Amino acid sequence: MTDWTIIRRSMTSRRFSTVTTIITVAVAVGLMLTLLSMRDSGRKAFERGTGNMHLLVSNDSSPLVSVLDGIFYADPPARPILWSKYNELLATYPHEYAIPTQQGDSYLGLPVMATTPEFFTKFSPDANYDPSKSPDTQSASPWKLESGRFFNAPFEVVLGARAAREAGVHIGDTIELSHGTKMSSNRGTAAKPHIHSGFPYTIVGILKPTGSSHDRAVFTDLNSTCIIHAHERRLRDDPTITTTTQADLIDADRKITGIYLRLPTREGSNISPLLPTVASKLRADPTLTVAQPNKEIKSLFSIVSSIDQILIAMAAAVMVSSGIAIMLALYNSMEQRRRQIAVLRVLGCSKPRVFGLIVTESAIIGILGALAGLLIALLGTQLVATAMKQRLGLVVEPSFDLKPTAIILFASLTLASIAGVVPALMAYRTPVAKNLRPIG
Amino acid sequence: MGDSKPALQVDKLYFRYPSAAADSLWNVDIRALTLAADEQILLTGASGRGKSTLLYLIAGLIEPAGGTVSVAGQDIFAMRGSHRDLFRGTSIGMIFQTFNLLHGFSAIENVLAALLFSTIPPKEHAARAKKLLDQVGIDSPDREVTQLSIGQQQRVAVARAMATSPALVLADEPTASLDPENAEAAMELIQSTCRSVGAALLCTSHDPSMSARFARRESLDDLTSAAAQ
Repeated sequence: MTDWTIIRRSMTSRRFSTVTTIITVAVAVGLMLTLLSMRDSGRKAFERGTGNMHLLVSNDSSPLVSVLDGIFYADPPARPILWSKYNELLATYPHEYAIPTQQGDSYLGLPVMATTPEFFTKFSPDANYDPSKSPDTQSASPWKLESGRFFNAPFEVVLGARAAREAGVHIGDTIELSHGTKMSSNRGTAAKPHIHSGFPYTIVGILKPTGSSHDRAVFTDLNSTCIIHAHERRLRDDPTITTTTQADLIDADRKITGIYLRLPTREGSNISPLLPTVASKLRADPTLTVAQPNKEIKSLFSIVSSIDQILIAMAAAVMVSSGIAIMLALYNSMEQRRRQIAVLRVLGCSKPRVFGLIVTESAIIGILGALAGLLIALLGTQLVATAMKQRLGLVVEPSFDLKPTAIILFASLTLASIAGVVPALMAYRTPVAKNLRPIG
Repeated sequence: MGDSKPALQVDKLYFRYPSAAADSLWNVDIRALTLAADEQILLTGASGRGKSTLLYLIAGLIEPAGGTVSVAGQDIFAMRGSHRDLFRGTSIGMIFQTFNLLHGFSAIENVLAALLFSTIPPKEHAARAKKLLDQVGIDSPDREVTQLSIGQQQRVAVARAMATSPALVLADEPTASLDPENAEAAMELIQSTCRSVGAALLCTSHDPSMSARFARRESLDDLTSAAAQ
């Protein structure tokens, strides 16, 4: 028989109340931990998507929209960049790569990114990947294939890991792309996708998952898209033509919607000293929108963080409510326990010890609630991560930083202990003689 | 226990309930009361005369307006807070009319609870509790007390009061809720157990049939200061 026996009996004698109070604390702690974990993991996931480019050049309405469209496939970019402008950029600015991209087509609702083979050899979703070095000499990884190979000719496609899974296609299958995407209607452009029939693409490769938005994209050679659009142009002039080749392309057919740009870097660094100058000069061109993806993601999160803070404040309020729930549960139990406390006092239990018993009981509820909350957060973050992967293609790896997790668990314990003070004071002040009298 | 100090010494003890008017009569007004070690005394008095209140005063559970109470030579009210609680837990046993057992706890846990708040080393607790329950005839010490018969609950209450081998046992109307036959048996148990552990017994009762069991009987009215004037 110890003080713990008394506390345990007290808790089990009010099992329903104890369990519901623990659940209340657990939900509050779980909510708080999930929010904090997903906030940090979500930011990391978005940062991972921007990869090793320094600038994203487009003709979109704003840098943020440009990043959301050009990297996260929110919508097809609305305005193209002229091919001559791309060539001018190539000639004017030093670069490690300047990869043209074109979006606007789709396959079964999946976004299509038409680009050049450099997209797979130089750009990488891994921000630390240095394209000037051999992949074998660095820990950061380039694109990796699950099966097949990268495209090296028109009308070949490579699918992101999730795109391949969703479309249910395999290496060697042929597919036809649609002009426009389901998503483009979100902006009210009312694009009605039409199939580029007569131009089948052969699937030559499927990528390994990267944890970025590119996992849900279909990649094809830029020339093939240009050929399709050139063919449609030529048909309007001469309905009798049957084939169009690369040789028939004119600059007007080579419409691109973005340029992934990486500037020269110093040895061992991913940061370019030329970035401020180049970005500034490019921004001077009114036909271009220049985005630094990392900065845009940070500014996006600074907007989201105010919502974050509201959610975290709400979770904190729920935690305080759970403390009040503990206090009420113990407070209500005091009426039933006055006689027991009086008996303990007769047996020699001091007032401070009675106080300690109640506060300890409250703290134990807090600890159990916090641990259950941690469990809820572990499950909750996995659920949210799964949902984000399925809906956005973002691979979020939930993690619990030790310090904030410890702070929240400690806060739960402290809050529960404080919540126990009022009922403990009631117990402390229990008039012994009055509560020992025969009932009735 | 062979101690020469009296088990109880009460001297000019006054108490008035806080709710009572300041100029009203004292609720407890004891001129003097001494109880030798091992002595057993029956304190009689009409209901509402303050018998229970006197026991709570002696146990140090309520503060008097004046006077002293010494148990085994220790002035109860000279001790403060936790020190007094520890002394009560170790040196005073209490038995109540309604037993006041800890519900939700087994018979042995009720006895162990008394030992938990005493100065008796924890390693002795289990053996002591078992022996006492055996002595009072409880053969199912692990049963929850509410599952025991009234008579068994009374026995557990007696064992609990004796757990620490106190110098003084205070019994507040211990047989009031029992029929005459069981009351006789219960009182026999209380008195014999007190003798076996060497505790003095101060028992309150307004049951005339109990008088014959005590060599010394005192009426609360005779102990009051007013009676001496």
